Amino acid sequence: MRDPRVARLGELVVNYSLGLQPGKVLRIDAPPVSAPLAIEIYRAALAAGAHPYVDLQLERLPELLLAEANDEQLEYVSPIALAELEFVDAIVTIWSESNTRALTHADPERHQRLISASQQLAKRRWQRMSAGELSWLGVLFPTEAHAQDAQMSLAEYERFVFRACHVEEPGDPVAHWQGVREELRSRAEALAEARELRIVGPGTDLKVGVEGRRWQPADGRYNMPDGEVYTSPLETVTEGEISFAFPALFHGREVTGIQLRFEDGAVVETQATRGQEHLEAMLDMDDGARRLGEVAFGLNYEIDRFTQNTLFDEKIGGTMHVALGSAFTDLGGLNESALHWDLVCDLREDGEVYADGELVWQAGRFLETATPARV
Amino acid sequence: MSERLRRLADVLVGYSGRVQPGDLTVIQGTMNVEPLLEELYGAVLRAGGHPAMRCAPEVEALLLDEGSDQQIEWLNPAELEDIEQADVWIVVDAPANTKALTSVDPERQGRVQRARRGWRERYLERALAGELRWVLTGYPTNGAAQDAEMSLAEYEDFIFGAALLDDGDPVARWRAFADELQRVVEFLGSKEELRFVAEGTDLTFAVGGDRKWIAADGHENFPDGEVFTAPLDESAEGEITFTFPAVFSGRQVDDVHLRFHQGEVVEATASSGEDFLREMVALDEGARRVGELAFGLNEAVRVFTRNILFDEKIGGTMHLALGSAYSECGGTNRSALHWDMICDLRSGGEVYADGELVYRDGRFLL
Repeated sequence: MRDPRVARLGELVVNYSLGLQPGKVLRIDAPPVSAPLAIEIYRAALAAGAHPYVDLQLERLPELLLAEANDEQLEYVSPIALAELEFVDAIVTIWSESNTRALTHADPERHQRLISASQQLAKRRWQRMSAGELSWLGVLFPTEAHAQDAQMSLAEYERFVFRACHVEEPGDPVAHWQGVREELRSRAEALAEARELRIVGPGTDLKVGVEGRRWQPADGRYNMPDGEVYTSPLETVTEGEISFAFPALFHGREVTGIQLRFEDGAVVETQATRGQEHLEAMLDMDDGARRLGEVAFGLNYEIDRFTQNTLFDEKIGGTMHVALGSAFTDLGGLNESALHWDLVCDLREDGEVYADGELVWQAGRFLETATPARV
Repeated sequence: MSERLRRLADVLVGYSGRVQPGDLTVIQGTMNVEPLLEELYGAVLRAGGHPAMRCAPEVEALLLDEGSDQQIEWLNPAELEDIEQADVWIVVDAPANTKALTSVDPERQGRVQRARRGWRERYLERALAGELRWVLTGYPTNGAAQDAEMSLAEYEDFIFGAALLDDGDPVARWRAFADELQRVVEFLGSKEELRFVAEGTDLTFAVGGDRKWIAADGHENFPDGEVFTAPLDESAEGEITFTFPAVFSGRQVDDVHLRFHQGEVVEATASSGEDFLREMVALDEGARRVGELAFGLNEAVRVFTRNILFDEKIGGTMHLALGSAYSECGGTNRSALHWDMICDLRSGGEVYADGELVYRDGRFLL
């Protein structure tokens, strides 16, 4: 039986996010547990006159690879995967999992080598995306595992996900997201005036340089759901400390109570109540892993709670997040790393943000305008 | 089940595919065979190869139902990369519903077959040149068990039995079986003409000249157990009645009767599915000629299960395929079709080689 919400999400992804044109090749990367959404996207792509195919990602393979592979196998990059990247016009990644903690006990050093090896593919993908040759979207199909992380029943979690994507009710989700695009675009233009941001909150007083960098409205073209504005900060300016109220998950491992202190743009001190070793291993991955590649405001007010999933958490209306690692070159960012780890900071109660000394954000809202109507 | 799957994966990787360190090994299958795909992935890693997984949901019915002609004829360049770059290609074929394509317009299925013909030729060409080792295998699903009129547990026993996996050393069993098949190949290799006689069947082929018999001993199909050749293109003369339903691309045709003259089908009838049969025979020039002639010799496969991978190996049967021939046999017939049809010879069937009775009631009189 088809779930009309999943059908609407499939159409939204194809017609709004990707704007898929006839004759274009779409690859849908999806785990088997997300097959209902993969098939709706496939169907919508056929209706758009495109050539879709589904590449199912079996969830146990990374665990098998980490357990059984020798070094050469671990670092191998398939020439088929590289060749595919040259002819696909669009990729959808469905991030759903059946068990979000399957890799908790994997060897961190080997895991990090696996991630580094996959950089060859990730880099080429970013290159083609930056050149406008490839469009890409990340989306999630609700599963029991994600519902469990969110501490909800599957039915509740489905409503949460589909509301955040604006497909829960029949209507015109494309029109909604076009409205979001307009709102976020004007927000990004306003932020482009700032040279420096100072973020103040519980355990947080951080200065970030953003002069000359472009702010990007995240309006559902790369992620669904979406709703943030972000940029890549100056690499050597970040100074001060920041605390993350929400646990941070990265590749199936949880780190809680993270506090970071920055000097001249780099992390010089770390603390975590749990998962300190994993945090250190990630920061030691390469030179760029200690610097910020992203700073952003979460502006989707239909996402009102933490669910232990970055796709949603970083968009919670009233939060900010920064990412350790790779920057967005198209926004002027220079930092390079195999890491891109988003950490979310809740500013909804006591948070303040100053732009060049002037208070612009308080308790989770920009000051100069009323609550954006649509985000 | 999981212990048997692991053994199956080890035989597929170690014996059938002969995966060597560094071999790029494409593992292809659908979502419902995930447990075997995972075992294969692990087995390839242990053999030192590089596994590349190619797993997809079953969207063929959706594509044929909703896709335009241009979309159904589209050849995915990713699949061509698999064919061009793989050193080993392991395909697990086990649909969740074997009849999902029953109501599809045969003309559209013909389009798909024609569009994919070049790929089929290309992987066979690489295989012939020794650049690619491919193997096709099955997997116990409820859909397959249902077709075989068995429970899933019974069907698992059937599959693993046919694969000779329940023995201590399956690889040694397969090597011994391969020797047996080789003896049949040598015997048939000296013959010029074969005549098949059974109820409703009296069909003669020329198999001499540059044609070769080949033992199918678990390298390209698994399980396996047949010897096959490509008869001379213009030699088939007479008639044949297939005792088992002929199944192709999700469609079943019952009681197929074919009459041949100078190598070509001149009459094709069936008690059901006759339209589909005629559509396929008319697919292209080569579709009305016999591309393959074979004896099924796996005595662990006794019953018909509506899966060609198993059925064509039933000990005591013969089969022929309409359409493309294997060039490693010296075959020259080309077609987008390759449709195997099976005739049971176990009760009363006879085969004469150059006029001499060499096979009776499903066994060679060697």
